[in-house]
Amino acid sequence: MSSKAMKQPVALRTFSTIFVVLWLIVAAFPFLWTLWGSFKVELDFFSKADWRNALTGARTMVEHGSAFTSTGYEGAWVQEEFWRAVLNTAIVCFFTVTISLTIGTLGGYALSRSSYRYTFWLLITALIFRAMPPITLVAGYLLPFFEWNLWGILPTTIIVLVAINQPFTLWMLHSFFQKIPKELDESAKVDGCTQFQAFRHVIIPVMWPGVITTGLFSFLLAYNDFAVTSMLLSKENQTMVPKIASFLGTTQTEGNVMFAVAAVVSATAPLFILVMFFQRQIVSGLTQGAVKG
Amino acid sequence: MAEIQLRNIKKRWGHVVGVDNFDLTIADKEFLVLLGPSGCGKTTTMRMIAGLEDATDGDILIDGVRVNDLEPKDRDVAMVFQSYALYPNMNVYENIRFPLKVRGVDTALHDERVMQAAERVELTDFLDRKPAALSGGQRQRVALARAIVRKPKVFLMDEPLSNLDAKLRVSTRAQIKNLSHDLAATTIYVTHDQIEAMTLADRVVVMKKGVVQQVGSPTEIYDTPANTFVASFIGNPAMNLVDGEMTGGTFRAPNVEIAGLAGPDGRVTLGFRAEDASVANAGGEINAPIYTLELLGDATMVSVRIGGQLVAVKADKTFRSEIGDPVSIHVHKDHCHLFHAETGARIGE
Repeated sequence: MSSKAMKQPVALRTFSTIFVVLWLIVAAFPFLWTLWGSFKVELDFFSKADWRNALTGARTMVEHGSAFTSTGYEGAWVQEEFWRAVLNTAIVCFFTVTISLTIGTLGGYALSRSSYRYTFWLLITALIFRAMPPITLVAGYLLPFFEWNLWGILPTTIIVLVAINQPFTLWMLHSFFQKIPKELDESAKVDGCTQFQAFRHVIIPVMWPGVITTGLFSFLLAYNDFAVTSMLLSKENQTMVPKIASFLGTTQTEGNVMFAVAAVVSATAPLFILVMFFQRQIVSGLTQGAVKG
Repeated sequence: MAEIQLRNIKKRWGHVVGVDNFDLTIADKEFLVLLGPSGCGKTTTMRMIAGLEDATDGDILIDGVRVNDLEPKDRDVAMVFQSYALYPNMNVYENIRFPLKVRGVDTALHDERVMQAAERVELTDFLDRKPAALSGGQRQRVALARAIVRKPKVFLMDEPLSNLDAKLRVSTRAQIKNLSHDLAATTIYVTHDQIEAMTLADRVVVMKKGVVQQVGSPTEIYDTPANTFVASFIGNPAMNLVDGEMTGGTFRAPNVEIAGLAGPDGRVTLGFRAEDASVANAGGEINAPIYTLELLGDATMVSVRIGGQLVAVKADKTFRSEIGDPVSIHVHKDHCHLFHAETGARIGE
């Protein structure tokens, strides 16, 4: 690959290198800016006097004697107990992903192997539910949740997130399963498997990249969700995203906005690690189709 | 080992008939070939025997036991799929071993059995490879090894050679024939290639649109086709078929006159094989200008047009002539087959 790239004209190579570098800077800038700013005080990062204060940290120097300070992080994690939100997010994500993947793989497999026409309508119905804005579901749920005393707790949120997420996982896994030839199931069955054994021993090992890709998307949905979690969780059960929003909402107290900035950095870091860790599976999951026996 | 009885089995999907009234007993150790064009129901028949498709009607018996309601795994059959259906995440060794593993065969026996099967199909050098790293012929042999690793009652093969190139097909065909002879298991083999059917089969079943046309040994099918469909499907080139009139034992069509035939008066279809006719200088039964001339190496194929149909005759390899030149073709009356003009069914015998 590199040798082929080296054969291109010098001008083109220079141009594309500059383009990529520029693009990288533009794309990464908001993240880097936030990361840098999270170690400053509010009057620097949101400076009205001079935007360069955010870079140099003039006020931070005055207040803390150093250009960097961890007060934002301390405020968020210790004073406001952001770790609770992290824990809640972990619980919500774990169960949302586990439940929707379990139902999604079994359902997607069944739909992909069924010869009945109603499978098509099931998938279309799923697509319609997927297309609806999540908030429309929440509006309908709110009243019964209050009535039955289910509002504000994590299991309720998990169920709603699964409901919103399930159509997507079903679709995605269904299309992955359809790419796996039916002969593979049949061969396994003739070789001595029950339908479920064929699924477990033959189909799922081939499906791993698809399951991981779908799982990651489910995870991101649960991790990033704001509409559902902000409406359905009480203050003590909040996950990270609504917690960050609540930091931003309290601008009366100076410095609280910096809790939000610090929390944003804390919430973004795991995503980077996760995507980098699974990138190989994600790429092969997205480009799957080479499973021909 | 296993006798298979198919009693009037049928397969329908709504109004579509896949297989209609298939009734046959397949003897123990027999090599049966189901032959027909695509969509004729041959694969469906095999899949019903395997248990991958439910029969709409009729009974399937293996060794006298009705298996209609048994799962594929409980029928003790092994199948080679057209696409091979190897497990892509397992290497060759694990692929071959899989049937032993899921059937709970004593693990102490696995290695020996897998090695035996791999040796049989000359795969011992590739045991560590994944299917993706194998050629088409090697994948095909893995599928074969996976089928023979346990000793099933019945082998089912669904067009196992159709994805191979022509040369490999010939050698693998020989290998399959040898293998089935050694294993002495009942084998059902599906193909649309009449040469495979002729070379491999003890008995051939010719099918068309779900209906059995003829059951017989390759010789019977070739020498006495039951109808025009079988006649035109078997042989390379297929049997020449000419529409004409019979009057008093003489067949007449444009440029054709063959006397001394035993058949009723009226419209009939006459059939004869290219190798049963010869090119004469004059006085032959067919006299027409040459339509085309094909050099095959071992012979020269001379074609003329009778009515709308092409009639091919195998001439000596040294025969040369020009397109449009008149040619006389000699067809002996004993080599002629007569078929009913409307139904296509064989007349006589």
